[in-house]
Amino acid sequence: MSAALLSLLIPLVTALLLLLLRSRAGGLVILANAVTLGCAATALYQVIGAGSQRLDIGDWEAPLGIRFELGPLTACLLVFTALVHLLVAVYAERSRHSQTRDTDFWPLSCLLHASLGALWLSRDLFNWYVTLELLGLVAVAMVILSGRKAHAPALRYLLLSLAGSLCYLLGVALLYGQYGVLDIHLLADAATDDRVTRVALLLLTLGLMLKAALWPLHQWLPNAHAAAPTAVSALLSALVVKGPLFILWMLWDNIAPPDLARQAGVVFALAGVAALVAGGWAALRTPWIKVLVAYSTVAQLGYALMALGLLLHWQDPTLSTALWLFVIAHGLAKVSMFLAAGEMQGTLGSRRVSALKGASQTMPVAMFAFVVAGGSLVGLPPSGGFVAKWVLLQPLLIQPSHWPWALGVVLGTLASAAYVFRVVAIAFDRADPNRPDYHPDVSAQWLAMLPALVVWAMALVSEPAIRWFAEVGL
Amino acid sequence: MSSVIPYLLGGVALWVLGLHALLLQPSALRRIMAVNVMGSGVFMVMVALGSRNSPIDPVLQALVVTGLVVAASATAFALRLATAGPYEEPDEQDDSAQGRP
Repeated sequence: MSAALLSLLIPLVTALLLLLLRSRAGGLVILANAVTLGCAATALYQVIGAGSQRLDIGDWEAPLGIRFELGPLTACLLVFTALVHLLVAVYAERSRHSQTRDTDFWPLSCLLHASLGALWLSRDLFNWYVTLELLGLVAVAMVILSGRKAHAPALRYLLLSLAGSLCYLLGVALLYGQYGVLDIHLLADAATDDRVTRVALLLLTLGLMLKAALWPLHQWLPNAHAAAPTAVSALLSALVVKGPLFILWMLWDNIAPPDLARQAGVVFALAGVAALVAGGWAALRTPWIKVLVAYSTVAQLGYALMALGLLLHWQDPTLSTALWLFVIAHGLAKVSMFLAAGEMQGTLGSRRVSALKGASQTMPVAMFAFVVAGGSLVGLPPSGGFVAKWVLLQPLLIQPSHWPWALGVVLGTLASAAYVFRVVAIAFDRADPNRPDYHPDVSAQWLAMLPALVVWAMALVSEPAIRWFAEVGL
Repeated sequence: MSSVIPYLLGGVALWVLGLHALLLQPSALRRIMAVNVMGSGVFMVMVALGSRNSPIDPVLQALVVTGLVVAASATAFALRLATAGPYEEPDEQDDSAQGRP
Protein backbone atom coordinates (compact mmCIF):
# COMPACT_ATOMS: atom_id res chain seq x y z
CA MET A 1 0.00 0.00 0.00
CA SER A 2 2.82 2.42 0.81
CA ALA A 3 4.16 2.14 -2.75
CA ALA A 4 0.70 3.00 -4.11
CA LEU A 5 0.45 5.98 -1.77
CA LEU A 6 3.89 7.12 -2.91
CA SER A 7 2.74 6.95 -6.53
CA LEU A 8 -0.05 9.34 -5.51
CA LEU A 9 2.09 11.65 -3.36
CA ILE A 10 5.15 12.08 -5.61
CA PRO A 11 3.23 13.87 -8.41
CA LEU A 12 1.37 15.97 -5.84
CA VAL A 13 4.57 17.06 -4.08
CA THR A 14 6.25 17.72 -7.43
CA ALA A 15 3.36 19.92 -8.53
CA LEU A 16 3.46 21.91 -5.29
CA LEU A 17 7.24 22.26 -5.52
CA LEU A 18 7.04 23.57 -9.08
CA LEU A 19 4.37 26.07 -8.04
CA LEU A 20 6.28 27.19 -4.94
CA LEU A 21 9.62 27.56 -6.70
CA ARG A 22 7.94 29.18 -9.74
CA SER A 23 9.87 26.69 -11.80
CA ARG A 24 8.64 25.05 -14.98
CA ALA A 25 11.38 22.44 -15.27
CA GLY A 26 10.29 19.55 -17.45
CA GLY A 27 13.26 17.42 -16.43
CA LEU A 28 12.08 17.33 -12.81
CA VAL A 29 8.61 16.18 -13.89
CA ILE A 30 10.07 13.45 -16.09
CA LEU A 31 12.17 12.26 -13.16
CA ALA A 32 9.14 12.33 -10.85
CA ASN A 33 7.08 10.42 -13.40
CA ALA A 34 9.78 7.77 -13.73
CA VAL A 35 9.98 7.32 -9.94
CA THR A 36 6.17 7.20 -9.80
CA LEU A 37 6.16 4.52 -12.46
CA GLY A 38 8.60 2.54 -10.33
CA CYS A 39 6.37 2.92 -7.25
CA ALA A 40 3.28 1.91 -9.20
CA ALA A 41 5.08 -1.14 -10.56
CA THR A 42 6.13 -2.07 -7.01
CA ALA A 43 2.50 -1.72 -5.90
CA LEU A 44 1.41 -4.00 -8.75
CA TYR A 45 4.09 -6.51 -7.77
CA GLN A 46 2.85 -6.45 -4.16
CA VAL A 47 -0.74 -7.02 -5.28
CA ILE A 48 0.35 -9.97 -7.42
CA GLY A 49 2.14 -11.42 -4.41
CA ALA A 50 -0.13 -10.56 -1.51
CA GLY A 51 -3.54 -9.76 -3.01
CA SER A 52 -5.71 -6.67 -2.48
CA GLN A 53 -4.92 -4.27 0.33
CA ARG A 54 -7.08 -1.73 2.15
CA LEU A 55 -6.15 1.41 3.99
CA ASP A 56 -8.38 3.32 6.39
CA ILE A 57 -7.03 6.86 6.24
CA GLY A 58 -6.09 8.14 9.70
CA ASP A 59 -7.27 4.82 11.17
CA TRP A 60 -10.86 5.98 10.96
CA GLU A 61 -12.95 3.03 9.96
CA ALA A 62 -15.77 3.23 7.43
CA PRO A 63 -18.55 4.48 7.47
CA LEU A 64 -17.05 7.61 9.03
CA GLY A 65 -13.55 7.28 7.61
CA ILE A 66 -12.48 7.24 3.96
CA ARG A 67 -11.13 4.01 2.62
CA PHE A 68 -8.50 3.43 -0.08
CA GLU A 69 -8.29 0.07 -1.71
CA LEU A 70 -5.49 -1.28 -3.86
CA GLY A 71 -6.85 -4.12 -5.98
CA PRO A 72 -5.51 -5.72 -9.18
CA LEU A 73 -7.29 -3.25 -11.45
CA THR A 74 -6.29 -0.21 -9.41
CA ALA A 75 -2.65 -1.33 -9.46
CA CYS A 76 -2.74 -1.83 -13.25
CA LEU A 77 -4.37 1.57 -13.73
CA LEU A 78 -1.73 3.24 -11.54
CA VAL A 79 1.01 1.74 -13.70
CA PHE A 80 -0.87 2.72 -16.88
CA THR A 81 -1.34 6.31 -15.68
CA ALA A 82 2.31 6.70 -14.69
CA LEU A 83 3.48 5.17 -17.99
CA VAL A 84 1.30 7.47 -20.09
CA HIS A 85 2.42 10.50 -18.09
CA LEU A 86 6.07 9.54 -18.51
CA LEU A 87 5.77 9.01 -22.28
CA VAL A 88 3.86 12.26 -22.78
CA ALA A 89 6.23 14.24 -20.53
CA VAL A 90 9.27 13.07 -22.49
CA TYR A 91 7.57 14.10 -25.74
CA ALA A 92 6.44 17.44 -24.31
CA GLU A 93 9.96 18.26 -23.18
CA ARG A 94 11.63 17.15 -26.39
CA SER A 95 9.32 18.26 -29.20
CA ARG A 96 9.31 21.80 -30.50
CA HIS A 97 5.67 21.50 -31.62
CA SER A 98 4.16 20.56 -28.27
CA GLN A 99 3.74 24.24 -27.20
CA THR A 100 4.34 23.15 -23.62
CA ARG A 101 7.96 24.03 -22.84
CA ASP A 102 8.25 26.47 -19.94
CA THR A 103 4.50 26.63 -19.46
CA ASP A 104 2.13 25.67 -16.67
CA PHE A 105 1.77 22.30 -18.39
CA TRP A 106 4.29 20.79 -15.96
CA PRO A 107 2.65 21.47 -12.58
CA LEU A 108 -0.80 20.87 -14.09
CA SER A 109 0.16 17.48 -15.53
CA CYS A 110 1.50 16.48 -12.09
CA LEU A 111 -1.78 17.57 -10.48
CA LEU A 112 -3.68 15.58 -13.09
CA HIS A 113 -1.54 12.56 -12.28
CA ALA A 114 -2.21 12.92 -8.55
CA SER A 115 -5.98 13.35 -8.96
CA LEU A 116 -6.16 10.27 -11.19
CA GLY A 117 -4.18 8.27 -8.64
CA ALA A 118 -6.59 9.34 -5.90
CA LEU A 119 -9.54 8.44 -8.12
CA TRP A 120 -8.27 4.91 -8.82
CA LEU A 121 -7.57 4.32 -5.11
CA SER A 122 -10.80 5.76 -3.65
CA ARG A 123 -13.80 3.63 -2.79
CA ASP A 124 -15.98 6.40 -1.43
CA LEU A 125 -18.71 8.21 -3.38
CA PHE A 126 -17.92 11.66 -2.05
CA ASN A 127 -14.18 11.25 -2.40
CA TRP A 128 -14.86 10.41 -6.03
CA TYR A 129 -16.82 13.65 -6.37
CA VAL A 130 -13.80 15.59 -5.12
CA THR A 131 -11.39 13.77 -7.45
CA LEU A 132 -13.79 14.28 -10.37
CA GLU A 133 -13.86 18.01 -9.72
CA LEU A 134 -10.08 18.13 -9.43
CA LEU A 135 -9.78 16.22 -12.67
CA GLY A 136 -12.25 18.50 -14.45
CA LEU A 137 -10.67 21.74 -13.24
CA VAL A 138 -7.12 20.61 -14.05
CA ALA A 139 -8.20 19.35 -17.47
CA VAL A 140 -9.82 22.69 -18.35
CA ALA A 141 -6.79 24.58 -17.12
CA MET A 142 -4.64 22.43 -19.40
CA VAL A 143 -6.90 23.02 -22.41
CA ILE A 144 -6.40 26.81 -22.19
CA LEU A 145 -2.61 26.41 -22.35
CA SER A 146 -2.91 26.71 -26.12
CA GLY A 147 -4.03 30.32 -25.80
CA ARG A 148 -7.08 32.50 -26.32
CA LYS A 149 -8.55 30.43 -29.12
CA ALA A 150 -9.16 27.60 -26.66
CA HIS A 151 -11.14 29.72 -24.18
CA ALA A 152 -14.57 29.13 -25.72
CA PRO A 153 -14.35 25.31 -25.90
CA ALA A 154 -12.70 25.31 -22.46
CA LEU A 155 -15.55 27.30 -20.91
CA ARG A 156 -18.08 24.97 -22.49
CA TYR A 157 -16.12 21.97 -21.17
CA LEU A 158 -15.94 23.51 -17.69
CA LEU A 159 -19.66 24.30 -17.48
CA LEU A 160 -20.75 20.88 -18.74
CA SER A 161 -18.24 19.23 -16.43
CA LEU A 162 -19.64 21.19 -13.47
CA ALA A 163 -23.20 20.29 -14.47
CA GLY A 164 -22.14 16.63 -14.65
CA SER A 165 -20.57 16.86 -11.19
CA LEU A 166 -23.69 18.43 -9.70
CA CYS A 167 -25.84 15.73 -11.28
CA TYR A 168 -23.52 13.17 -9.69
CA LEU A 169 -23.59 15.01 -6.35
CA LEU A 170 -27.41 15.02 -6.23
CA GLY A 171 -27.32 11.26 -6.80
CA VAL A 172 -24.77 10.88 -3.99
CA ALA A 173 -26.99 12.96 -1.68
CA LEU A 174 -30.01 10.76 -2.43
CA LEU A 175 -28.04 7.55 -1.82
CA TYR A 176 -26.63 8.91 1.44
CA GLY A 177 -30.09 10.03 2.51
CA GLN A 178 -31.40 6.52 1.87
CA TYR A 179 -28.59 4.36 3.29
CA GLY A 180 -26.43 6.64 5.45
CA VAL A 181 -23.12 5.36 4.03
CA LEU A 182 -20.78 6.51 1.26
CA ASP A 183 -18.35 3.61 1.10
CA ILE A 184 -19.00 1.58 -2.04
CA HIS A 185 -18.66 -1.81 -0.32
CA LEU A 186 -21.02 -0.89 2.54
CA LEU A 187 -23.45 0.50 -0.04
CA ALA A 188 -23.21 -2.74 -2.01
CA ASP A 189 -24.30 -4.67 1.11
CA ALA A 190 -27.10 -2.25 1.99
CA ALA A 191 -28.52 -1.44 -1.46
CA THR A 192 -32.04 -2.57 -2.24
CA ASP A 193 -34.19 -2.21 -5.33
CA ASP A 194 -36.38 0.80 -4.60
CA ARG A 195 -37.37 3.99 -6.33
CA VAL A 196 -34.87 6.27 -4.60
CA THR A 197 -31.97 3.98 -5.52
CA ARG A 198 -33.11 3.92 -9.13
CA VAL A 199 -33.43 7.71 -9.37
CA ALA A 200 -30.05 8.13 -7.67
CA LEU A 201 -28.41 5.67 -10.06
CA LEU A 202 -29.95 7.50 -13.02
CA LEU A 203 -28.55 10.83 -11.80
CA LEU A 204 -25.12 9.35 -11.06
CA THR A 205 -25.05 7.70 -14.48
CA LEU A 206 -26.06 10.84 -16.38
CA GLY A 207 -23.44 12.91 -14.58
CA LEU A 208 -20.69 10.39 -15.19
CA MET A 209 -21.67 9.81 -18.81
CA LEU A 210 -21.47 13.53 -19.44
CA LYS A 211 -18.00 13.68 -17.85
CA ALA A 212 -16.77 10.56 -19.66
CA ALA A 213 -18.14 11.87 -23.01
CA LEU A 214 -20.13 8.68 -23.56
CA TRP A 215 -22.59 8.86 -26.45
CA PRO A 216 -25.01 10.78 -26.61
CA LEU A 217 -23.42 13.20 -24.13
CA HIS A 218 -20.12 13.56 -26.03
CA GLN A 219 -20.70 16.85 -27.87
CA TRP A 220 -18.20 18.86 -25.83
CA LEU A 221 -15.28 16.46 -26.33
CA PRO A 222 -14.05 16.92 -29.93
CA ASN A 223 -13.64 20.71 -29.72
CA ALA A 224 -12.11 20.69 -26.25
CA HIS A 225 -9.62 17.92 -27.03
CA ALA A 226 -8.72 19.32 -30.43
CA ALA A 227 -8.20 22.86 -29.09
CA ALA A 228 -5.69 21.77 -26.44
CA PRO A 229 -1.93 21.56 -27.06
CA THR A 230 -0.90 18.19 -28.46
CA ALA A 231 0.56 16.73 -25.28
CA VAL A 232 -2.56 17.79 -23.36
CA SER A 233 -4.91 16.27 -25.95
CA ALA A 234 -3.06 12.99 -25.52
CA LEU A 235 -3.46 13.06 -21.73
CA LEU A 236 -7.13 14.08 -21.93
CA SER A 237 -8.10 11.37 -24.39
CA ALA A 238 -5.98 8.65 -22.84
CA LEU A 239 -6.69 9.24 -19.16
CA VAL A 240 -9.17 11.94 -18.15
CA VAL A 241 -12.29 10.44 -19.74
CA LYS A 242 -11.43 7.06 -18.20
CA GLY A 243 -11.79 8.33 -14.62
CA PRO A 244 -15.58 8.79 -14.71
CA LEU A 245 -15.83 5.51 -16.61
CA PHE A 246 -14.10 3.76 -13.69
CA ILE A 247 -16.64 5.18 -11.21
CA LEU A 248 -19.53 4.27 -13.51
CA TRP A 249 -18.27 0.69 -13.74
CA MET A 250 -17.76 0.48 -9.96
CA LEU A 251 -21.26 1.80 -9.24
CA TRP A 252 -23.12 -0.47 -11.63
CA ASP A 253 -21.02 -3.48 -10.83
CA ASN A 254 -21.52 -3.08 -7.06
CA ILE A 255 -24.75 -1.37 -6.13
CA ALA A 256 -27.12 -1.80 -9.06
CA PRO A 257 -29.99 -4.23 -8.37
CA PRO A 258 -29.65 -7.18 -10.83
CA ASP A 259 -33.06 -6.56 -12.47
CA LEU A 260 -32.27 -2.93 -13.16
CA ALA A 261 -28.75 -3.85 -14.32
CA ARG A 262 -30.12 -6.26 -16.92
CA GLN A 263 -32.46 -3.63 -18.35
CA ALA A 264 -29.92 -0.81 -18.24
CA GLY A 265 -27.28 -3.09 -19.76
CA VAL A 266 -29.16 -3.21 -23.06
CA VAL A 267 -29.38 0.59 -23.12
CA PHE A 268 -25.65 0.96 -22.41
CA ALA A 269 -24.71 -1.60 -25.06
CA LEU A 270 -26.93 0.07 -27.67
CA ALA A 271 -25.47 3.46 -26.78
CA GLY A 272 -22.04 1.88 -27.26
CA VAL A 273 -22.92 0.69 -30.76
CA ALA A 274 -24.37 4.11 -31.55
CA ALA A 275 -21.15 5.74 -30.31
CA LEU A 276 -19.06 3.47 -32.53
CA VAL A 277 -21.10 4.33 -35.60
CA ALA A 278 -21.71 8.04 -34.92
CA GLY A 279 -18.14 8.72 -33.74
CA GLY A 280 -16.69 6.81 -36.68
CA TRP A 281 -18.90 8.68 -39.13
CA ALA A 282 -17.98 12.08 -37.68
CA ALA A 283 -14.28 11.14 -37.80
CA LEU A 284 -14.71 10.23 -41.42
CA ARG A 285 -16.29 13.57 -42.31
CA THR A 286 -14.28 16.16 -40.37
CA PRO A 287 -11.72 18.27 -42.24
CA TRP A 288 -9.38 18.72 -39.21
CA ILE A 289 -6.71 16.21 -38.15
CA LYS A 290 -7.02 16.56 -34.40
CA VAL A 291 -10.83 16.61 -34.49
CA LEU A 292 -10.62 13.32 -36.38
CA VAL A 293 -8.52 11.81 -33.60
CA ALA A 294 -10.86 13.26 -30.96
CA TYR A 295 -13.94 11.76 -32.65
CA SER A 296 -12.08 8.47 -32.72
CA THR A 297 -12.00 8.71 -28.89
CA VAL A 298 -15.79 9.09 -28.85
CA ALA A 299 -16.06 6.02 -31.07
CA GLN A 300 -13.62 3.91 -29.08
CA LEU A 301 -15.37 4.74 -25.81
CA GLY A 302 -18.30 2.99 -27.48
CA TYR A 303 -16.47 -0.33 -27.13
CA ALA A 304 -15.99 0.26 -23.41
CA LEU A 305 -19.65 1.23 -23.05
CA MET A 306 -20.71 -1.85 -24.99
CA ALA A 307 -18.56 -4.08 -22.78
CA LEU A 308 -20.10 -2.44 -19.70
CA GLY A 309 -23.63 -2.91 -21.05
CA LEU A 310 -23.15 -6.56 -21.97
CA LEU A 311 -21.42 -7.18 -18.64
CA LEU A 312 -24.52 -5.88 -16.85
CA HIS A 313 -27.01 -7.51 -19.19
CA TRP A 314 -25.55 -11.00 -18.92
CA GLN A 315 -24.07 -10.53 -15.42
CA ASP A 316 -20.84 -11.93 -16.87
CA PRO A 317 -17.81 -10.70 -14.87
CA THR A 318 -15.26 -11.74 -17.54
CA LEU A 319 -16.43 -8.77 -19.61
CA SER A 320 -14.95 -6.42 -16.99
CA THR A 321 -11.58 -7.63 -18.22
CA ALA A 322 -12.58 -6.76 -21.78
CA LEU A 323 -13.67 -3.28 -20.68
CA TRP A 324 -10.38 -2.47 -18.95
CA LEU A 325 -8.26 -3.99 -21.70
CA PHE A 326 -10.08 -1.68 -24.11
CA VAL A 327 -9.40 1.28 -21.86
CA ILE A 328 -5.68 0.57 -21.54
CA ALA A 329 -5.19 -0.35 -25.21
CA HIS A 330 -7.13 2.71 -26.34
CA GLY A 331 -5.24 4.97 -23.96
CA LEU A 332 -1.82 3.94 -25.26
CA ALA A 333 -2.89 3.94 -28.91
CA LYS A 334 -4.53 7.35 -28.56
CA VAL A 335 -1.43 8.91 -27.00
CA SER A 336 0.54 7.77 -30.01
CA MET A 337 -2.10 8.95 -32.46
CA PHE A 338 -2.43 12.43 -30.91
CA LEU A 339 1.32 12.92 -30.65
CA ALA A 340 1.83 11.80 -34.26
CA ALA A 341 -1.06 13.99 -35.45
CA GLY A 342 0.24 16.99 -33.52
CA GLU A 343 3.75 16.48 -34.84
CA MET A 344 2.55 16.23 -38.44
CA GLN A 345 0.22 19.21 -38.07
CA GLY A 346 3.02 21.31 -36.58
CA THR A 347 5.58 20.35 -39.20
CA LEU A 348 3.29 20.49 -42.22
CA GLY A 349 1.85 23.82 -41.09
CA SER A 350 -1.83 23.06 -41.44
CA ARG A 351 -4.57 21.60 -39.28
CA ARG A 352 -6.40 20.05 -42.22
CA VAL A 353 -6.49 16.33 -42.96
CA SER A 354 -5.85 17.12 -46.64
CA ALA A 355 -2.48 18.63 -45.68
CA LEU A 356 -1.24 15.11 -44.88
CA LYS A 357 -0.87 14.48 -48.60
CA GLY A 358 2.34 12.56 -49.13
CA ALA A 359 3.11 12.41 -45.41
CA SER A 360 4.24 8.81 -45.79
CA GLN A 361 7.15 10.25 -47.74
CA THR A 362 7.84 13.51 -45.92
CA MET A 363 7.25 12.31 -42.34
CA PRO A 364 7.41 8.51 -42.52
CA VAL A 365 7.99 7.84 -38.80
CA ALA A 366 5.07 9.95 -37.56
CA MET A 367 2.79 8.49 -40.22
CA PHE A 368 3.91 5.00 -39.27
CA ALA A 369 3.14 5.75 -35.59
CA PHE A 370 -0.32 6.97 -36.60
CA VAL A 371 -0.98 3.82 -38.59
CA VAL A 372 0.40 1.44 -35.95
CA ALA A 373 -1.81 3.10 -33.32
CA GLY A 374 -4.71 3.01 -35.77
CA GLY A 375 -4.10 -0.71 -36.24
CA SER A 376 -4.68 -1.26 -32.55
CA LEU A 377 -7.84 0.88 -32.64
CA VAL A 378 -9.14 -1.16 -35.57
CA GLY A 379 -8.20 -4.31 -33.66
CA LEU A 380 -5.60 -5.92 -35.90
CA PRO A 381 -3.84 -8.87 -34.24
CA PRO A 382 -1.61 -9.03 -32.24
CA SER A 383 -2.27 -5.53 -30.80
CA GLY A 384 -3.82 -4.66 -27.43
CA GLY A 385 -7.00 -3.60 -29.22
CA PHE A 386 -7.27 -7.05 -30.76
CA VAL A 387 -6.87 -8.81 -27.39
CA ALA A 388 -9.60 -6.65 -25.83
CA LYS A 389 -11.95 -7.32 -28.73
CA TRP A 390 -11.21 -11.04 -28.51
CA VAL A 391 -12.15 -11.13 -24.81
CA LEU A 392 -15.34 -9.20 -25.61
CA LEU A 393 -16.20 -11.64 -28.40
CA GLN A 394 -15.68 -14.79 -26.29
CA PRO A 395 -19.18 -14.91 -24.71
CA LEU A 396 -20.66 -14.00 -28.10
CA LEU A 397 -18.94 -17.02 -29.67
CA ILE A 398 -19.84 -19.43 -26.86
CA GLN A 399 -23.56 -18.55 -26.65
CA PRO A 400 -25.22 -18.67 -30.08
CA SER A 401 -28.11 -16.50 -28.87
CA HIS A 402 -25.68 -13.65 -28.24
CA TRP A 403 -24.46 -13.36 -31.82
CA PRO A 404 -26.43 -10.23 -32.86
CA TRP A 405 -24.12 -8.17 -30.65
CA ALA A 406 -21.18 -9.31 -32.78
CA LEU A 407 -22.72 -7.11 -35.46
CA GLY A 408 -22.00 -4.10 -33.22
CA VAL A 409 -18.33 -5.13 -32.99
CA VAL A 410 -18.17 -5.56 -36.78
CA LEU A 411 -19.73 -2.12 -37.33
CA GLY A 412 -17.25 -0.59 -34.91
CA THR A 413 -14.31 -2.27 -36.61
CA LEU A 414 -15.45 -1.11 -40.04
CA ALA A 415 -15.94 2.46 -38.82
CA SER A 416 -12.46 2.57 -37.20
CA ALA A 417 -10.88 1.03 -40.28
CA ALA A 418 -12.62 3.65 -42.44
CA TYR A 419 -11.22 6.68 -40.66
CA VAL A 420 -7.74 5.19 -40.23
CA PHE A 421 -7.60 4.31 -43.93
CA ARG A 422 -8.91 7.75 -44.86
CA VAL A 423 -5.72 9.21 -43.41
CA VAL A 424 -3.54 6.43 -44.83
CA ALA A 425 -4.93 6.92 -48.33
CA ILE A 426 -4.18 10.65 -48.25
CA ALA A 427 -0.71 10.05 -46.80
CA PHE A 428 0.23 7.64 -49.57
CA ASP A 429 -0.83 10.07 -52.29
CA ARG A 430 2.81 10.78 -53.18
CA ALA A 431 2.25 12.47 -56.54
CA ASP A 432 2.30 16.00 -55.15
CA PRO A 433 3.36 15.81 -51.50
CA ASN A 434 2.72 18.74 -49.18
CA ARG A 435 6.22 20.02 -48.27
CA PRO A 436 6.96 20.45 -44.54
CA ASP A 437 7.46 23.98 -43.20
CA TYR A 438 10.38 22.83 -41.10
CA HIS A 439 12.87 20.06 -41.18
CA PRO A 440 10.92 17.13 -39.62
CA ASP A 441 12.00 16.34 -36.06
CA VAL A 442 12.79 12.62 -36.23
CA SER A 443 13.36 11.98 -32.53
CA ALA A 444 10.02 13.57 -31.61
CA GLN A 445 8.35 11.32 -34.17
CA TRP A 446 9.97 8.30 -32.55
CA LEU A 447 8.68 9.47 -29.18
CA ALA A 448 5.20 9.53 -30.70
CA MET A 449 5.82 6.00 -31.89
CA LEU A 450 6.74 4.55 -28.45
CA PRO A 451 3.22 4.20 -26.96
CA ALA A 452 2.06 2.46 -30.14
CA LEU A 453 4.85 -0.07 -29.76
CA VAL A 454 3.83 -0.59 -26.12
CA VAL A 455 0.24 -1.28 -27.15
CA TRP A 456 1.39 -3.89 -29.65
CA ALA A 457 3.61 -5.42 -26.96
CA MET A 458 0.50 -5.67 -24.72
CA ALA A 459 -0.48 -8.80 -26.62
CA LEU A 460 2.58 -10.54 -25.17
CA VAL A 461 1.66 -9.94 -21.53
CA SER A 462 -2.10 -9.97 -21.81
CA GLU A 463 -2.66 -13.72 -21.51
CA PRO A 464 -1.25 -14.04 -17.98
CA ALA A 465 -3.01 -10.78 -17.10
CA ILE A 466 -6.37 -12.10 -18.32
CA ARG A 467 -5.88 -15.34 -16.38
CA TRP A 468 -4.92 -13.39 -13.28
CA PHE A 469 -7.98 -11.14 -13.55
CA ALA A 470 -10.20 -14.19 -14.06
CA GLU A 471 -8.67 -15.82 -10.98
CA VAL A 472 -8.72 -13.00 -8.44
CA GLY A 473 -11.35 -10.69 -9.94
CA LEU A 474 -10.85 -6.98 -10.49
CA MET B 1 -39.81 14.41 8.70
CA SER B 2 -42.69 16.22 7.00
CA SER B 3 -41.17 19.60 7.86
CA VAL B 4 -38.18 18.66 5.71
CA ILE B 5 -40.15 17.88 2.56
CA PRO B 6 -40.66 21.51 1.38
CA TYR B 7 -36.91 22.03 1.59
CA LEU B 8 -36.21 18.83 -0.32
CA LEU B 9 -38.66 19.79 -3.04
CA GLY B 10 -37.30 23.34 -3.10
CA GLY B 11 -33.78 22.02 -3.54
CA VAL B 12 -34.78 19.73 -6.40
CA ALA B 13 -36.73 22.58 -8.01
CA LEU B 14 -33.67 24.84 -7.84
CA TRP B 15 -31.55 22.10 -9.38
CA VAL B 16 -33.98 21.62 -12.27
CA LEU B 17 -34.26 25.38 -12.77
CA GLY B 18 -30.49 25.69 -12.92
CA LEU B 19 -30.17 22.83 -15.39
CA HIS B 20 -32.89 24.33 -17.58
CA ALA B 21 -31.12 27.68 -17.66
CA LEU B 22 -27.73 26.07 -18.31
CA LEU B 23 -29.10 24.27 -21.35
CA LEU B 24 -31.04 27.19 -22.82
CA GLN B 25 -29.21 30.42 -21.92
CA PRO B 26 -26.69 31.60 -24.51
CA SER B 27 -24.79 34.09 -22.33
CA ALA B 28 -21.74 32.76 -20.50
CA LEU B 29 -22.44 34.74 -17.32
CA ARG B 30 -25.99 33.41 -17.11
CA ARG B 31 -24.77 29.86 -17.61
CA ILE B 32 -22.23 30.25 -14.81
CA MET B 33 -25.03 31.54 -12.58
CA ALA B 34 -27.18 28.60 -13.66
CA VAL B 35 -24.51 26.15 -12.50
CA ASN B 36 -24.40 27.97 -9.16
CA VAL B 37 -28.18 27.71 -8.80
CA MET B 38 -27.89 23.98 -9.49
CA GLY B 39 -25.22 23.74 -6.80
CA SER B 40 -27.38 25.59 -4.28
CA GLY B 41 -30.20 23.17 -5.03
CA VAL B 42 -28.00 20.15 -4.30
CA PHE B 43 -26.67 21.72 -1.10
CA MET B 44 -30.22 22.49 0.05
CA VAL B 45 -31.22 18.85 -0.52
CA MET B 46 -28.17 17.71 1.44
CA VAL B 47 -28.78 20.06 4.38
CA ALA B 48 -32.46 19.07 4.45
CA LEU B 49 -31.56 15.37 4.45
CA GLY B 50 -29.09 15.97 7.26
CA SER B 51 -31.65 17.70 9.47
CA ARG B 52 -34.21 14.89 9.35
CA ASN B 53 -33.13 13.41 12.69
CA SER B 54 -31.74 15.01 15.80
CA PRO B 55 -28.89 15.34 16.43
CA ILE B 56 -28.27 16.71 12.94
CA ASP B 57 -26.07 14.46 10.76
CA PRO B 58 -22.64 16.19 10.69
CA VAL B 59 -21.37 14.14 7.71
CA LEU B 60 -23.75 15.82 5.28
CA GLN B 61 -22.85 19.25 6.62
CA ALA B 62 -19.19 18.45 6.11
CA LEU B 63 -19.97 17.36 2.55
CA VAL B 64 -21.82 20.63 1.90
CA VAL B 65 -18.86 22.66 3.18
CA THR B 66 -16.50 20.74 0.89
CA GLY B 67 -18.91 21.19 -1.98
CA LEU B 68 -19.10 24.93 -1.36
CA VAL B 69 -15.32 25.24 -1.54
CA VAL B 70 -15.27 23.35 -4.85
CA ALA B 71 -18.16 25.41 -6.23
CA ALA B 72 -16.57 28.73 -5.25
CA SER B 73 -13.22 27.91 -6.86
CA ALA B 74 -14.83 26.50 -10.00
CA THR B 75 -16.99 29.64 -10.32
CA ALA B 76 -13.95 31.88 -10.00
CA PHE B 77 -12.19 29.91 -12.74
CA ALA B 78 -15.25 29.99 -15.02
CA LEU B 79 -15.65 33.76 -14.53
CA ARG B 80 -12.03 34.34 -15.46
CA LEU B 81 -12.50 32.26 -18.61
CA ALA B 82 -15.73 34.01 -19.53
CA THR B 83 -14.37 37.53 -19.09
CA ALA B 84 -11.29 36.89 -21.24
CA GLY B 85 -13.23 38.34 -24.17
CA PRO B 86 -14.09 37.08 -27.62
CA TYR B 87 -11.48 35.74 -29.98
CA GLU B 88 -11.49 35.82 -33.78
CA GLU B 89 -10.12 32.70 -35.41
CA PRO B 90 -7.25 33.51 -37.82
CA ASP B 91 -8.20 30.88 -40.36
CA GLU B 92 -6.36 32.37 -43.33
CA GLN B 93 -3.10 30.70 -42.39
CA ASP B 94 -4.69 27.29 -42.91
CA ASP B 95 -6.25 28.15 -46.20
CA SER B 96 -2.99 29.53 -47.53
CA ALA B 97 -1.29 26.32 -46.43
CA GLN B 98 -3.84 24.54 -48.59
CA GLY B 99 -2.83 26.19 -51.79
CA ARG B 100 0.91 26.10 -51.21
CA PRO B 101 2.93 24.30 -53.89
